[in-house]
This record gives sequence, structure tokens and C-alpha cells, in this order.
Amino acid sequence: MNIHSTPKLTAAETALIDAFGERFSELPGDATVAVKRDDAVEALKAGLPTRRVEAWHYTDLRRLLTNVPGYDSTLAARAKPALLAGSTVLPVLNGVSGAGASIDGATVTRLVDKLLDGSFAPALGPREPADTVGALNTAFVADGYFIDIAAGAEIAAPIEIQNVQAGGQTHSRFPVRVGQGAKATIVERQTGAGNALTSSISHLTLGEDAELLWIIVQDQPDGATCLSQFNAELAKGSRLTLFFMNAGSKLVRQEIRVRMPGEGADFKLRGINLLSGDTHCDVTMMLDHLAENTTSTEIVRNVANGAAKGVFQGQIKVAKDAQKTDAKMACNTLLLSDEAEFSTKPELEIFADDVACGHGATVTEIDRNHLFYLMARGIDEKTARGLLVKAFVAEIIEELEDEATVEVLEGILDDWFAEHV
Amino acid sequence: MPAVQETIEQVRNIDVDQYKYGFESFIEMDKAPKGLSEETIRFISAKKGEPDWMLEWRLGAFRRWLTLEEPTWARVHYPKIDFQDIYYYAAPKSTPGPTSLGDVDPEILKVYEKLGIPLKEQEILAGVQKPTDDGEASDNVYKSGRVAVDAVFDSVSVVTTFRAELAKAGVLFMSMSEAIKEHPEIVRKYLGSVVPTTDNYYATLNSAVFTDGSFVFIPKGVRCPMELSTYFRINEKNTGQFERTLIIAEEGAYVSYLEGCTAPQRDENQLHAAVVELVALDDAEIKYSTVQNWYPGDKDGKGGIYNFVTKRGDCRGDRSKISWTQVETGSAITWKYPSCILRGDDSRGEFYSIAVSNGYQQVDSGTKMIHLGKNTSSRIISKGISAGHSNNTYRGQVSVNRRATNARNFTNCDSLLIGNDCGAHTVPYIEVKNSSAQVEHEATTSKISDDQKFYVMQRGIPEEEAIALIVNGFVKDVIQELPMEFAVEAQKLIGISLEGSVG
Repeated sequence: MNIHSTPKLTAAETALIDAFGERFSELPGDATVAVKRDDAVEALKAGLPTRRVEAWHYTDLRRLLTNVPGYDSTLAARAKPALLAGSTVLPVLNGVSGAGASIDGATVTRLVDKLLDGSFAPALGPREPADTVGALNTAFVADGYFIDIAAGAEIAAPIEIQNVQAGGQTHSRFPVRVGQGAKATIVERQTGAGNALTSSISHLTLGEDAELLWIIVQDQPDGATCLSQFNAELAKGSRLTLFFMNAGSKLVRQEIRVRMPGEGADFKLRGINLLSGDTHCDVTMMLDHLAENTTSTEIVRNVANGAAKGVFQGQIKVAKDAQKTDAKMACNTLLLSDEAEFSTKPELEIFADDVACGHGATVTEIDRNHLFYLMARGIDEKTARGLLVKAFVAEIIEELEDEATVEVLEGILDDWFAEHV
Repeated sequence: MPAVQETIEQVRNIDVDQYKYGFESFIEMDKAPKGLSEETIRFISAKKGEPDWMLEWRLGAFRRWLTLEEPTWARVHYPKIDFQDIYYYAAPKSTPGPTSLGDVDPEILKVYEKLGIPLKEQEILAGVQKPTDDGEASDNVYKSGRVAVDAVFDSVSVVTTFRAELAKAGVLFMSMSEAIKEHPEIVRKYLGSVVPTTDNYYATLNSAVFTDGSFVFIPKGVRCPMELSTYFRINEKNTGQFERTLIIAEEGAYVSYLEGCTAPQRDENQLHAAVVELVALDDAEIKYSTVQNWYPGDKDGKGGIYNFVTKRGDCRGDRSKISWTQVETGSAITWKYPSCILRGDDSRGEFYSIAVSNGYQQVDSGTKMIHLGKNTSSRIISKGISAGHSNNTYRGQVSVNRRATNARNFTNCDSLLIGNDCGAHTVPYIEVKNSSAQVEHEATTSKISDDQKFYVMQRGIPEEEAIALIVNGFVKDVIQELPMEFAVEAQKLIGISLEGSVG
């Protein structure tokens, strides 16, 4: 251990750096953006992270990232019907945003414009040396949307960000600002055809007492690579529910970084990872409780079949001043096959002495007693197993309350089970 | 609800400036020249009169060590250690190696007496209780007459008690140096077979320069007739203590082993880098308990022992069992992960730990349970308490290998913070590659629930007492794993620190 040498760049690393050289002149942005891009590429030249980097302990990106197709502007991607009926769809097709849409109570701007005038430059750049997704995205980001929801606005129809791939590589960003007391639902879809390499970063700023439900559904094709990041900052009294479902791609790294600097803010994370084939899916959450009386609950349920490898890293930090924090995290996994693997690292880092924090993690197979119970009632084993596995994850969806949403998400679940289990 | 006053006071009682074992003894020492080189290693090996293979083994480890870099992943911070500024060998001139009790320097005997570790068998057996300078340390497990002690003073073992009696049962209990000479075939077979010389930075350093330690061999079918114990004392300035312990339990054997340690109060930091290897063959059981009470540094974080230890047990045989119990209150920095490799089918590993940190202490400790065999099971119970400016991290790994069908793990780690300048952290790594595994992990950082308290109090028990009761229940999981005689002593230590605290 610990024998260091300067790494020789892998084929994927070289391809990324070369792609930057080729694409640089076409990437949008003023000089301030260009400087950020250059710095980010320099960071990439040090090599992609390996297991030695703690944040990437179970995802050796250097070894796993092999699929680096070039950007192909000739590919056509088609917008899909909205996931939830009545949504306002904001499509990004093969990395290019559409004209935008007019939403009552919100302003939507194409991100390319904010890159061109440099106003988005301050938000670019990796957050820390291990923020490879941030570096990669900064180097290549070309478009996306900026959604600004006005204070007090209550937007009933969900806003759907639809990031549709056609192959090649695309890099997008979705900054969202929610004003004081506003309420909305945002759906983020990472979808498409072709084995693309995608990086996608969202930034959410939630104003005081604002309330938001954010749903991420990732169902890219089996050969795709999806590197994404969800960032959120929660002001006083605001409430965020983040729901995610991963049901595709060969390589997934999904980072969830939430900061709670506002007193009394509440964060709920509910996630489902459906893993099959030779998928490697890593969900890494970093949550900072920074103010008093902040609360959070995180529940992640995983089902792994085939030779899939799943990872959940959940880090909860409680700062010295965040007294009366209440944080609870659970990660439960069902392994359905002998080759499937799951690794989890639920981490607590606590500096306040009057808090209630807990985490639980289980990795098991289907409970034999439950199976027996169903089979004793004349249900054959295969059906019984299917029922139990589905119930295990559907529980998370049902918490969403809105019936139409539950139905749509359960539909995705059913499709996945029909195809993979 | 923050920690109650009683808890705070009681943790304060074992705060770093209350260290009772910090006295220094002036004993003339024979030392190797300062610094680390092949010469130092040859010097140590020659001093011990070791065979050539042992010297070669050491030199191999040293060459390997030169290529390694100090690990930095643990959540501990300290100035870089100057490995050339340490004495690697320091033995009392009068007693340069294990000898019969009559030949031990009376000054050294006095040190152990002061620590409450009597080495005179006749007195122990007769139950003689000599008055000591420090009355408190006098009634402990070591005086019960049921514990054989190997006393390690700086770099050498000075005496091992009850050897004759143990030999009657076929048990070998002696210092490592003697074992290398007297039973080279056993040592050669097992030394480095659990923690190889290439294992990690400090284990590799230890392999190169270890000076002594205890050797225990329990032959097939023997249940060791008494508790075995090693008491480690660092006395000399600027020395590092590098001991190596090897415990082998053959088929069906059983042994319970205790380890205690203390050091004088000094402004400098001293390094203690030990390696402990346990081997359990078919149906064997090893119970290893530690009360770690090295000097923790003063209230400003000056001085104290760096305790960088590699402890690992290998459940090599089917149905074997290894259990680690540790009560950690000392050391400026602790960096240790007593682990179990569950190789044999149906083997079992256990880890019970209470770690209390005060002052500027830094603890990064936990365990590894590596499930390789079928039907293997493991249990981890860890309780951490941080006070003052200390940081207390539980870091543990549970890994279920592809072939480890029906592996089972249960992990529970709880922490408590007292005050607002300390930190409590939990970093578990759970890796499962077999679908029949059952792995459960839970961790909490919280206070006693009001419901629990109410339940006890409405039966007429005052609040503080109610809390004490609940807390006793909280630590019971760990305490009950200690050997009975030892538990009395540990309970005092823990009673002090946990009463009035939390779950």
C-alpha cells in the first residue's frame, strides 16, 4: 500500500482531455467561463479518482470509466411525453435546450445564455478535489435551464426537466431558485437512447419556508454512463423531499449534496436503485446539518440482480451549532442473485452534543418466513418472491401520497421487474 | 437533553489530568543506539540471541517498510513522527531478559506493585495484600490468584508467573524472545501468518523491530486453567514499544487472555506499535480482553502515547471463535482495529468495545469482520463517549465474501458527546457479495429517551439513579463479555465514565 507513482493516463482519461481540445472552441461562454473550463481540465489531467480517494472508495472511476464517445451534433433526440400528466416539459435534447416555456410564477432561462454572458461562471468549478463530476461538467457544460420560481408562487403543474440523450456525450446544468414560501414539484429525467456519457448537475436554492418535491428518474439504456450531482441549500423553515429512482445505465454515479444552513429546515430523501446486468451504481449522499432544529430522514432501498454492483455512501455531518438535530438514515438491500454485490458506508460525523442521529443498514435475501406465509396461501414461489421484492421498494413510492405520481412510478417499477427479474 | 451533570463529573474523574499511573521510575537501562537502521535491527536480534531466520525475517520487513508511506486515512492528526529519534530497544540493565522472580530488580517489582500487579506467586496465592502507595490500585483482578502475568517492561519481558503450573496443563506461556529460542518450530509456523510482514506501515515496522511480547500456545483439547495476562509498561524516555503477541489455540482449546498497559506522564509523545496475532483451529476459542490505559497526554494535549496497533485473529478452523473486548480510556491517539478473519466454516467473531476520550485524545478504532467460510457469524457492539476536545471515531468493516454462504452479522454502535468541542463519528464499511448473507448495522447518537426515564422514575426512583440504571443496561452488552474478575476492575473504570450518560 501507499506506494505512489504518477499515473499514466488511461484511454478514457486521454479521450476526455482530447475531446476538450477538440470541443473547446465550440463550447459556449465568455472569458470567465473559459478560465473555469481550463482549470477543470487541469484537475482532470491528474487522473480520475481511484479507491484511494475516500469519496470514491467503492467506485474506482479510473478503472470503470471506459465508455467515452465523442460529442456528435448530428444525433437527433426526441422529447418524450411528460412523466406526470399536465407537466410543463423543459427538454434538453442531445445536450441542447429548447426555447423554454412560460410558466406562471416562474422564469425559465436557457443556460447557454448565462454561459455566454458569463453570469453563471461563479457557480462553475469542482467543489473540492474529489468532485470529479463537478470538474468534468465544468469543462464541458454546454446548456441546461435556469428556473427561477418567484416568492409565494404555488405552481400546481409539475415542471419536468427532460435530459434526453441520443449517444455521444452531453453535459448539462440545471440551477433552480425557489423564492420564499413558494411551492412546486420538479421532475428530473435522465433518459434517452444510445450509450451516451452524460454529466448533469442541478443546483437548488430553497428560500425560507419554501416547499419542494423533486423527483429524479434515471432510465438510460444498459450501456450508458450517467454521472450526476444534485446540490441543494435549504433556508430557514424550508422543506425538500427528494425522490430518486435509478433503473438503467451501466455506470451510475449519483451525488446528492445537501446543506441545511437554515433553522428548522427539513430534508427527506427517498431512493430506489433497481440494478441488473453488470450495472455499477453508486449513490453518494453528503448531508450537512448546519443550524438548530434541522431534521432529515433518508431511506434508500436497493434490489440487485444479475452481476450488478451497488453502492450507497451516506454521510451526515452535524455541525457544532446544529443542536437538536434529528437525522435518521436507513439503507436496505435485497440481493437477488449470487453474483450481485452491495457495499454501503453510512457515515455519521457529529460535533453537537444534543442531537438524535441514527443510521441503519441491512443487506439480506428475501425473508423465508414471509415467503412461507405467501406460499402457504397457495401462491407459487416465483410469484411470491416477485410480490415481496416489489413490496420492499414500492413502500418508498407510496410515501409520495399523490396518487397519480405513485401510479406512474409504480409503472416504471413494474416494467423493470417484468424485464429484469 | 444534554448529558446530565453526574455524567459530566464522572467523565471528568477520568479526565486526562487525573491519570493515576503517570509516575516515573528511575531504573538503569541498557539501550540500543537511537535511530532505525539495519544496524539497530541486528543489535536487537543479537541482544535476544535470535536464530538467523528471525534476523532475516526482520530485515525483510525493514526493507519492505522503507518502501512504504505512513497511512493518512484515519481521522487522527499528529505531527510527523521522526523514526530516527526513537530508541528501539531499552531493557533494564539488571534484568535484561526474562528470568526467575528472585532475579528481578526489586525496583521493577516495586513498579508493578505500585500499579497493582503483584508478581510474587507465593504472595498472590497466600492472598497477601501489601499496602501500596496508591491504595486504589490494590484490589484488582491480578490479586485474585487466578491470573498468570507476563510483565513486559519497555522492550523486554521481565518475568512470567505461574509458568510451572501452566506447563502441567501443557500450556506454553512465555515471552516471545524465549519462545523463539525454545519453540522455534511453532513460532516459525505461525508468526506473520495472520498479520504478514507486508500488512501495513506500522505492522511492518513492528515486524522489523519488535523486542518482546507474549507467546501462548494451548494444545489440542486443553482448557487453559487460569486467565493469562500481559501487562505492558513503558518507562524509559524516547523509547518506542514494539511488542508482538502470538496466541495459538489448537483444536478444541480455550483461553482467555487479558492485556493491560500504562506509561509515565511526559511531555513528549511516545510510540507504541504492537502486533497481536491470534490463531484458532477447529473448535477452539480465544477470548482477548484489553484495558488500554496508556498515558493520554495532559489537558492541553501535550504528550501521551501514540497507540498504533494491528490486532487480528484468524478463525482458521471450523467452529472456532474469537472474541475481542476492549475498554479504551488512554493514549493520545489510538488507531486500532482488532479484526477477525472468519475462514473456518461455522466460525464466529465478536467485538465489544467501550472507548472513552477526553482532553485532546483522538480515537479511531473499530473492527473488521471478514466472512470467508460458510455459516460464519459476527457481532459488533461498540460504545463511544467523547468529552473535552476529543474526537472519537468508530470505523469498522464487515465484508461477506462470495463463498460465505449464510453469513450473519449484527453491528450496533452508539455514541455520546459531552460538551460542544468534541466529535463523535461513525464510519462503517459494509460489503456483501453473497445473496444469502444477513447483515444488519445500526448506529445512534442520542440521549436516553424520556420514555425510558419516565418508566423507571414513575416507580419512585430518582432521576439520577434512573439514568444510572438505564446506562448500566447500556454498557452491559460489553461488560458482560469481560472475564469476571477483570470485569470488576473495568466496571469501576466504566462506571465512572458512563453513569449518567446515554444510549
